[in-house]
Amino acid sequence: MVVRERKTETRLAVELCGIPLRTPLIPASGTLTKEALGEVEGVYGAMLPKTTTPAPRAGNPPPRVAETYAGMVNSIGLQNPGVERFLEGLDAFDIGLPLFVSAAGDTLEEFGALCERLGADERISAIELNLSCPNVECGGLTFCAGPASVEEVVAVCRRATGKPIFAKLTFEGVVENARAAESAGADALTIMNTIPALTIDAHRREALVRGGLSGPAIKPVALRAVYDVCGAVEVPVIGSGGVTSGIDVAEFMLAGATAVQIGTASFVRDPKEILSELASYLDKVGLDTADLMGALSS
Amino acid sequence: MKFYGVSVEERKASGRYTVLRYRWPGLVEPGQFVMARAVGWPVTLDPFLARPFSFYDHDGEVASLLFEVRGRGTALLDRAHKIEVSAPLGCGFQLGSSSGKAALLGGGVGIAPLKILGRRLTELGVPHDVFLGFADAPTAGAARDFPGAGMATMDGSLGTPGTVLDAVPNLTEYGAVYACGPNPMLAAVKRTVGPDRLCQLSVEERMGCGNGSCNGCAVPVRSGGYVRSCVEGPVFRAEALAW
Repeated sequence: MVVRERKTETRLAVELCGIPLRTPLIPASGTLTKEALGEVEGVYGAMLPKTTTPAPRAGNPPPRVAETYAGMVNSIGLQNPGVERFLEGLDAFDIGLPLFVSAAGDTLEEFGALCERLGADERISAIELNLSCPNVECGGLTFCAGPASVEEVVAVCRRATGKPIFAKLTFEGVVENARAAESAGADALTIMNTIPALTIDAHRREALVRGGLSGPAIKPVALRAVYDVCGAVEVPVIGSGGVTSGIDVAEFMLAGATAVQIGTASFVRDPKEILSELASYLDKVGLDTADLMGALSS
Repeated sequence: MKFYGVSVEERKASGRYTVLRYRWPGLVEPGQFVMARAVGWPVTLDPFLARPFSFYDHDGEVASLLFEVRGRGTALLDRAHKIEVSAPLGCGFQLGSSSGKAALLGGGVGIAPLKILGRRLTELGVPHDVFLGFADAPTAGAARDFPGAGMATMDGSLGTPGTVLDAVPNLTEYGAVYACGPNPMLAAVKRTVGPDRLCQLSVEERMGCGNGSCNGCAVPVRSGGYVRSCVEGPVFRAEALAW
């Protein structure tokens, strides 16, 4: 009997919209800064910096973050230097991985123009449309108000670029919105964003942070959203929401995800541990990541 | 964020605060901080995040943190035998000897970085005086670690009545001012010191990640918008801040 030893690298690799990823892990937008890239060498299959917008955004006034049980609530407000300065600094994120860019606009026109601009940059492999930020006054989550608005904005972006586009959706109405994004030409779907949430300081009787909940607290919600969407669309799904361990990654892939984003977990753990847990799991079950996708036994 | 498990070598009360010592042979700059927590994943679902603490002291082998028990995270730290810490983070105080005598101002638990800062200034031969402000006499017990420091208490029970600024007899004799404390205190220090002297402030902000990734610890700057306390700070030149 010939036993073939497969290299860990091969076992972890996946393909997303024709783009080879050496691991299924992608940093969730806004959770990995260029200053921390040295700490995550070898972990990710693609790079994904914080959302860019047409004009610079100062972001929301502090307090911007508050801790909750098994998670945190943030209201950053898409702080970013605007697309032109973003592109000037983009080489800092080139660590030899496919580069995905998260984009957001306040209007359909802004989304279209931004996709055209980003699509023309040869360093960028794909564009993730942030249609679900809960922390900005206009745009953001309103694009996820229903299938009609999702379809409209994805269609505008589809016309603006030939690059693969991923639509990042919120959990509410996710199946209908996912179908709409797919029919408008999205190449993949990122499921899901943070969940609208509030923290209150009872001692000071103050509302602390009104923003989006992330972390392990939201994992079962995200897992359900990924599972339901994978049963409803043909395009690949990128799982996102509370993924904190290698077993979590496996669960999202079993639910049907092609790749998985790591966000808040990277604040409390070394993401390298998550990847090695995934590798140990694969060893144990004798599967490759590519075999995991949707491979629930019942 | 990579965390390192370390054993607590010593823990002692300092006024109402706790000083916790652990072995850390790496470099530490005055004003830098660590993210610290009592236990790591998967136990740490509540509290979920680590807490930022300025280094209190570092003698080349052993680092110490000074903190106040305010909630569950610090309560657990206060009784843990092993803790998890990140490597030293952030930009500390910029130390030069050309500015003459330095004043070190600390308010409440914000006195923490002044210990290591004083140690480093002494090594550099920079003359300096330390002034500490507290709410009341029990918290002022932490001043025991700062022999010769001037002191003020808000309730007037010890030292000069008022804020730390009231404890400084003549601020104009100092060429440089270094301060750490609640943000309103730092704003008052900035106003009082004025634009003509070197003034560096270590700010207090809520943090999520500690390494610049989450943009949570936003500090408003005069050039417009916000910067991150954890990467661009936590020590800033006073004139850079929009307070």
